[in-house]
Amino acid sequence: MLDALRSYDALLLQMVVAALLALSLYLPMMAGQLSLASPGFYALGGYTAATMSKGVFAPPADGSFPVSALLLEMLAAGLLSAALAVVVGALALRLSGIYFALATIAFVEILRVLSLNLNITGKAIGIFGIPQPFGDKLSYMWVALPLLIGVMLFVRRLERSRVGRSLLAVREDQLAAASMGIDLTRTKVLAFTLGGTLAGVVGALDAHVLNTWNARQGTFDRSILLLAFVLIGGTRTYLGPVAGGLALTYLPEWLRSRAEAGVLPSWVSTFIDEGRFIIFGVLLTVGCIFFPRGLITPDLLKRGRRFGRRKQQPRPDVTPDASPGTPVTRGADA
Amino acid sequence: MTDVDELEVRGATRRFGGLIAVNDVSFSVRRGEIFGLIGPNGAGKTTLFNLITGVTKMSSGQLFHRGEELTGARPHVVARHGLARTFQNIRLFGGLTALDNVMIAQHVHTRSGLLRGVLGLPPTRTEERAVVQRGMELLSLVGLAARHDEKAANFSYGDQRRLEIARALALQPKILLLDEPAAGMNQHEKAGLSEFVRELRVQFDLTILLIEHHVPLVMGLCDRIAVLDFGNLIALGEPGVVQRHPAVIEAYLGDEGAVA
Repeated sequence: MLDALRSYDALLLQMVVAALLALSLYLPMMAGQLSLASPGFYALGGYTAATMSKGVFAPPADGSFPVSALLLEMLAAGLLSAALAVVVGALALRLSGIYFALATIAFVEILRVLSLNLNITGKAIGIFGIPQPFGDKLSYMWVALPLLIGVMLFVRRLERSRVGRSLLAVREDQLAAASMGIDLTRTKVLAFTLGGTLAGVVGALDAHVLNTWNARQGTFDRSILLLAFVLIGGTRTYLGPVAGGLALTYLPEWLRSRAEAGVLPSWVSTFIDEGRFIIFGVLLTVGCIFFPRGLITPDLLKRGRRFGRRKQQPRPDVTPDASPGTPVTRGADA
Repeated sequence: MTDVDELEVRGATRRFGGLIAVNDVSFSVRRGEIFGLIGPNGAGKTTLFNLITGVTKMSSGQLFHRGEELTGARPHVVARHGLARTFQNIRLFGGLTALDNVMIAQHVHTRSGLLRGVLGLPPTRTEERAVVQRGMELLSLVGLAARHDEKAANFSYGDQRRLEIARALALQPKILLLDEPAAGMNQHEKAGLSEFVRELRVQFDLTILLIEHHVPLVMGLCDRIAVLDFGNLIALGEPGVVQRHPAVIEAYLGDEGAVA
């Protein structure tokens, strides 16, 4: 079992990272803000971890690198990203809608060009030979998986809390939210900062996973990929981006393995390799037309829960639709 | 100082390019009053509401709430001062449930921050329970408690108007601004609305400003009425006085030549 997992270690980590980064896009989206800034913060987090691990935490001659140092780097990357996100957010969120989205793309580009030209980021070559806290890749799951589960729980709870509701209110109707006493700027900056912080933390982790970090990590391509995860997975529940990130990272690999095994013709594998952005582009377009809120929606989950409950307590004398008690009892814990 | 006006509008003016939507309008609303704002289409009634609630900035003029200046305050600041409104074209949080709508409006009266909310510690739980309970009370006040779990967007027009009032009340306002609350209601519902607004005033100790087209409703309900025409305040007073005011008759019916 473990050996089987080990042979897929890189892919599994990639999937978890994709889900986390998709969540970092989902957080600003909770407040209705389309931010494509995640790859920028992700890159910043990666550089933070890379420089720290080769500087302050430089491993001794035997090459051992403590996990605690990795966690500290993730914390530092998160704090740094949060600080930058507050500044960038306060400026960029003066713009609205698509103009804000464009500003976040510009932000990603600025960071990318900076990292291509600064000595501290290793210019075009980047930083390589980042110390490894674990003997094998799969062990990174000990950090990555709890992080994903923790963030999922965080967002799940957030959606049901006072602050989370204020985000949703801003998403639904800014004018009405403001008229109910919600400070729009503060709320949007908060949502943007949460997303940026998460992306920074993930970047710090991924720098170690990938062992090398360069300007190709935080690009506009990546922004669009993450956007596809969220839009196809679902924009109205935290499960959407998670499912989108996991599935859309796994799918191309699976198709490629099928092609390599001869099940699918070889041009398919080439196309998947070279043309995955075409595929995602088509998926995005089709998805936006037929599933404007993504595949996983709160309504779908609700129906799923209702279906599950019905199976548990069959009531043959009452038709399923005519059970007036159901909605009321469900609301009690809402 | 007890007879400080609840709300005072002083020289409110709003220009949109060359158009003067609201022109040097001044009036004050007394505490506990039901104050009507009427006028033909395009008279500037909703613009005046937007000026009061900070949605639109005044070109010039001042605004006071209980003697405190609110000129130029942003909408959420105005809301925190206790001014709650409904919208002419209904602006609910359509994708959220009815209960969510009234829970969100309690935002300024609750404290739990990001981390406390996410961790769900006991003080937050207590607060959350209170918010739900208060929300349900308000929903039952407008007769929507049984449907608290439904999306606001799925409600009928009349129910949406009622939900919007419940949401405004959840802000625990001192002043309630209703923008055409009777729009789209039938005669029977309109009669019920008058009664409902009066009850609200007593039950929540409110001062109420309302924009309304339906003249009989306004005449029967309001203590005083201001009439706007082309952005100008042309009459202000008790319903009986306003009704006989020549400028009002002219604004509503045209001048004598046109009538003849």
